[in-house]
Amino acid sequence: MISSRHLFFTAVTALSCVVHAAVPPQHAQDMAKGLALFKSDVRAALTQHCLKCHGGEKVKGGLDLTTREGLLKGGEEGVVIVSGQSKASRLYKSITHATKPAMPDKSPKLPDALIAKIAQWIDYGAPYDKPLMEKGATPAPREISEADRQFWSFQPLKKVSPPKVRDTKWPRNDIDRFVLAKLEEKQLAPNALAERPTLLRRVYLDLIGLPPTPEEIEAFVNDKSPDAFAKVVDTLLASPHYGERWARHWLDIARFAESHGFEQDYDRPHAYHYRDFVIKALNADMPYDQFVKWQVAGDELAPGNPLALMATGFLGAGVFPTQLTEKEFESARYDELDDMAGTLGTAMLGLTIGCARCHDHKFDPIPVRDYYRLISTFSTTIRSEIELDLASDTQAAAMVEWERKRRALDEQLAKFEAAQLPARFDVWAKKSPAELSALFQWLILDEAEAKSLEGSTFTRQPDGSLLLGGKNPDHDRWVFKTGALQGALTAVRVEALADESLKKKGPGRADNGNFSLTDFRVFAQPADGSKPRVPVKLARPRATFEQNNGGLSVASSIDGDPRATGWAVDPQFGKNHAALFEFDEPLNMPGGVVLTLEMDFFTNTRHAIGRPRVAVTTAPAPAPLAGAAQLQSIFTLMKAAKDLRVLRLTDAQRLALQAMNHPLDAAWKALCKELEAHQAAKPKPALTKVQATSEGVKPMKHHADDRGFPHFYKESYFLKRGDANQKGEVATSSFLQVLMRGGKTEKSWQSAPPAGAHTSHRRAALAGWMADTEHGAGHLLARVIVNRLWQHHFGRGLVATPSDFGAQGEKPTHPELLDFLASELIKNGWRLKPLHKLMVMSAAYQQDAKFDTAKAAKDPMNTLVWRRTPQRLEAEAIRDSVLAVSGRLDRTMFGPGTLDQESKRRSIYFFIKRSKLVPTMQLFDAPEPLVGQGARPATVIAPQALLFMNSPQVRAAAKELAATLQKNAGVHGTTVPSAYMTALGRAPAKDELAKAVAFVQAQVAAYQTAGRAEAAQLALADFCQVLFGLNEFIYIE
Amino acid sequence: MDAQLNRRAMLQRCGLGAGALGLYSLLQDERLLGAPVADPLTARLPHFAAKAKAVIWIFVNGGQSQVDTWDYKPELAKRNGQALEGFDRFTGFFSNSVGGLMKSPFEFAQHGQCGKWVSSIFPNLAKHVDKMAFIHSLHTESNNHSPALFMMNCGLPRMGYPCVGSWVTYGLGSASRNLPAFVVMSDPRGRGLPKGHATNWGAGFLPSVFQGTHLRPQGEPIDNLKRPVEMTVAQQRAQLDLMADLNRLHLARNPGESELAARIESFELAYRMQSAAPEALAIEQESEATKKLYGLDQKHCAHFSAQCLIARRLVERGTRFVQIYSGGMDNQLSWDGHSDIAGNHTGFAQETDQPVAALLQDLDQRGMLKDTLVVWAGEFGRLPVAQKGDKPGRDHNPHAMSAWLAGGGVKGGVSHGATDEIGHKAAVDRVHVNDFHATLLHLLGMEHEKLTYRHSGRDFRLTDVGGKVIRPIVT
Repeated sequence: MISSRHLFFTAVTALSCVVHAAVPPQHAQDMAKGLALFKSDVRAALTQHCLKCHGGEKVKGGLDLTTREGLLKGGEEGVVIVSGQSKASRLYKSITHATKPAMPDKSPKLPDALIAKIAQWIDYGAPYDKPLMEKGATPAPREISEADRQFWSFQPLKKVSPPKVRDTKWPRNDIDRFVLAKLEEKQLAPNALAERPTLLRRVYLDLIGLPPTPEEIEAFVNDKSPDAFAKVVDTLLASPHYGERWARHWLDIARFAESHGFEQDYDRPHAYHYRDFVIKALNADMPYDQFVKWQVAGDELAPGNPLALMATGFLGAGVFPTQLTEKEFESARYDELDDMAGTLGTAMLGLTIGCARCHDHKFDPIPVRDYYRLISTFSTTIRSEIELDLASDTQAAAMVEWERKRRALDEQLAKFEAAQLPARFDVWAKKSPAELSALFQWLILDEAEAKSLEGSTFTRQPDGSLLLGGKNPDHDRWVFKTGALQGALTAVRVEALADESLKKKGPGRADNGNFSLTDFRVFAQPADGSKPRVPVKLARPRATFEQNNGGLSVASSIDGDPRATGWAVDPQFGKNHAALFEFDEPLNMPGGVVLTLEMDFFTNTRHAIGRPRVAVTTAPAPAPLAGAAQLQSIFTLMKAAKDLRVLRLTDAQRLALQAMNHPLDAAWKALCKELEAHQAAKPKPALTKVQATSEGVKPMKHHADDRGFPHFYKESYFLKRGDANQKGEVATSSFLQVLMRGGKTEKSWQSAPPAGAHTSHRRAALAGWMADTEHGAGHLLARVIVNRLWQHHFGRGLVATPSDFGAQGEKPTHPELLDFLASELIKNGWRLKPLHKLMVMSAAYQQDAKFDTAKAAKDPMNTLVWRRTPQRLEAEAIRDSVLAVSGRLDRTMFGPGTLDQESKRRSIYFFIKRSKLVPTMQLFDAPEPLVGQGARPATVIAPQALLFMNSPQVRAAAKELAATLQKNAGVHGTTVPSAYMTALGRAPAKDELAKAVAFVQAQVAAYQTAGRAEAAQLALADFCQVLFGLNEFIYIE
Repeated sequence: MDAQLNRRAMLQRCGLGAGALGLYSLLQDERLLGAPVADPLTARLPHFAAKAKAVIWIFVNGGQSQVDTWDYKPELAKRNGQALEGFDRFTGFFSNSVGGLMKSPFEFAQHGQCGKWVSSIFPNLAKHVDKMAFIHSLHTESNNHSPALFMMNCGLPRMGYPCVGSWVTYGLGSASRNLPAFVVMSDPRGRGLPKGHATNWGAGFLPSVFQGTHLRPQGEPIDNLKRPVEMTVAQQRAQLDLMADLNRLHLARNPGESELAARIESFELAYRMQSAAPEALAIEQESEATKKLYGLDQKHCAHFSAQCLIARRLVERGTRFVQIYSGGMDNQLSWDGHSDIAGNHTGFAQETDQPVAALLQDLDQRGMLKDTLVVWAGEFGRLPVAQKGDKPGRDHNPHAMSAWLAGGGVKGGVSHGATDEIGHKAAVDRVHVNDFHATLLHLLGMEHEKLTYRHSGRDFRLTDVGGKVIRPIVT
């Protein structure tokens, strides 16, 4: 304590000095730099580590760091900083633990780098741009009362058993007992069971979104076994089309789309993997709790599973304004967090969490504090594109097989090399060097002496090339001098080879990988030195590539301009290049010739070749640019070997010679080739870009990056009225208090991330809480999904507001049934397919749609399910049905979608671009994918009718159906009944048949009068189009 | 009451008379979405007697500069070239190109009985200032196009909310059974859609029937209006007759389903639309004098003349809400004059001045102006300081913009609110976008606080949690 008092006096003295001193000239710049530091690091550090005790929840020691005034004022023990002098500031001393009390209290010392930044900030004058928090922006903790928890949807599931009913014959399963009990209460009797064709059409469209074919109808109608319908249901649930049908319902709730929205509405080309995940998960009957958990935290819960990563697309499917100004950065990020938490709330928990953004939820026990703690779970969660091996199983199997074959080939080669190659080598080695050299076209001059006049260094490579090193002078001249060369030399070749060590892999030393050989000269001298050296005239230059055919052509290297022009290769970088210069006349000197090659690099600065290799040939003109080559050093060795006899070679020499021989051995070459081919065919993991949502990953790039959008902020704060400019304290991750039971807090689900994890595992905790049926939100999670299933099967949820189970939502019509179904779901391991089956196998589901005035008087909205309410098909099912019935449906599953309205794939594979929604889908009430939608309207408007009358797609489908019907007319008899069966799943009644036949005849006559050759076909198409337009086609009984 | 007369049935049966019961409330809740809804565009009566029956909104896309158009600022000329002290360089979009104060390149003169100062780029509109109510103190919440466009159209600077036109048709339905209730026209010169695209006329969470019908600038303006080529009128008629016959047989078997009857009716409507919509767009039927008045013979504005004429014809035939966007998407291809503000605004003024002036005159002559509200407004204003460049421009300014209303219940020759002396920020009688919207709804006979839709547990409004009718400009 004494020491700290002492320091305090020192500090005051120091401060007074500053006060009296004139404002230093660089004051403004310092403050600006300080402000930048404050914004980038210091604000977060103070907020996170100091504010809670010093200005947030408490003002310990009278020190309030909220504002700069408070900081400068200091606390009860005096000032804590000396502006401009960090080392003299008590704040600095206490965070460096140089003095007591060491800060932050009861927490680890701050990282040194951060301390340095704080010190620097103090040195700059400790500026603030705004207070650390707005007073009153941090909401006080609000207790959730027992009364709050008593609201029906927050209560645990009740243990219910099916009630007793008077009519014991009607119920087919437990659902019916719940339904019937309510009906009997109101003295209502359920309707009779629907006719078989009606029932079949209903269950097909319900479960797979496509109508049954005439053959399927016939088979079912004729199947007299008691489990005929159950078999159909099982088949449909096992159909891949089931996933396509039910995924579409989920995608509405998930506000799924494949573009960012807003100004540019850029595509998210890899977002479709989320759609594919939903289809696959549903088809595999993935347990619903896992389905949910993976969408929230698949990257944390099953990081090795591509499907789990695809699932995280859920969080990032919302809109995002990719064009942002600096002023919008932070609020845009809070909007994004709101979208994640809000969508999760409505989709999975049936709660309108977003309503608590500005104030406590007005109707539900969701305090604003809960809201900010929940969204902070996603603070570091961002949209990303990652590469995944989507077929890892197939890949692994292929690798095993490949390895097996590689080992076999390896062994085969090793065996050959051990058993046969040495003998073959000995035979070969006995041949003369001249004989051997005839096998090659180029002699690589690897024994030449190389010199750079500017001090570059050359390192000889095994292939005879020279790798440049040392300094990279602006300009360079090289002089290569060979030993004695025999024979009639016809050309010289200069190669410029690519190399990993060079920029852009070379082949030049320039920053872009280029070079320019300004001038190239060759001199010849007899090996015995009997005459002076003379220049060799070079002719007919050629190259693998030339940058142009003027000043950077190969010809310009010998054009007599020694300073400016010369061969270059931009933009063919990272590749090997070669230039060939023929000798005007063959060069042959008795006793051999010594060549001097001079290469100048003056055209541009630092434009020497990075890895040269030179060679000569005796091949008659025109010598080939490529062709077999051999090192001069090998021939030297050969010669030595001849002289010394093969058997007396050292191991090293023998190996070197073998290396030369092997490529010439046809049998060895064939074996190697086979191995190489196999090597090249190594199964590569087919990496696919997938849009995922995770942490610690590269953010998905977009427009706002140009302005420095940070994609996320490490911390989220409590905000006053949702305004990012009015921050309170840092909000730490937690969940909805009303759904944490048994005295549990968020800590019960949270755990530290495993070692090496790049995510915070906050979402894993959230997912755990959501699915926890003991103490978390699991019971509500189950209620919400079984209600959605019921809603789509029966046309109306047991809770009529499927995404709002709060006080503003509707109360359940059958609360016990809802709890019964939710319990069944959990009991069945959260599998949805058994629940579908339970629902569609019930008598309640299988009733006919007959309207009854007396019953309707008691229950006009049919909330008690005394009949089947006809359902209008959704946009997708309407379009898919038209395609299916006309035989045009393309059943290809998965993969990128399309915007092409002419596409014949199922509608779920339309690309969902927010600014270009497919008009047909919109016409029939497909929602704009901006926020989750739990139910669609079923409007009746004239433009829908126009579509059936005039759309080219509907017309084309009608024509195609007509053509098929005509073709099969011989088989099925008349076309009209067959058209009815195909489109509507039933035979026409007498009056219908009469009207239809009369119509077709009249249209035929009309078209004939109009002189149309294909009158019959057009008339039939007109009729088929009528069928598509019938109410019965889109309203399903 | 007959048991069959459930909510759906009621809605359908009451037909045009439904408005008297305020029946749009039956639609105003997503919990009812599961239940089929018969024609939701049925005309409905407003909350109280409306001054305006229809709206034509000239959307000054890209953000017009108030100080170069309607907000005369002599002080700005005096301080030309001076730095603006304390100016936040992040106000606009280009924080590194902020110049000094810049006077308007245009001359201003007084016009009309009210003596309104108007920029020389609007010689024709200037003749109508006595019909206009100017708002100079309008301000918004974003300095960025698409959020600001959403703000102006939907009341919030975010995506996902219904636009004014959707709210209006949701509230009032359509007066025309044969034409779309809410029509949007965008730039036909290939300069693109406004930033934010179709979201600007989207229905957000409202049923999609309330979204704007975008007349395609090229090709067929409306989908599926044309009969299949091989069919004659009589052949299609026969087809529809058979469909109606068969549908009626089906209806007889399903007497409880009112929407089935509504759907039979929808085919008749559609049949009529096939001829009604092309007729409404057929501006060639107009007299030569009218064509000339609108400037159809003028190359620089013919495209906008045509759109203004179509707007009048649509409103005449019962369309409720028409929005015409002046200019396209990118900088300089709209009123977004980041560089060469003089050239940019002169050009776009030339495109719009004569057609919009003609629209006012034409509506007036036909007695339509009294119940047609004409709106001139964009997404934000522009700064009094220059955006530096060879030819200086002006950057975005969310703090002030000018708009005017004319016709349908609006006082003429009045100005409401004011900016500071250099036109930088709204200073007197500030008008928020929510207030602007509240006023539009008021003129259409609706209380903005009562026009709500239950979504995600909340009753949403066009005016969010704000909105105050600008009484002084209302007759």
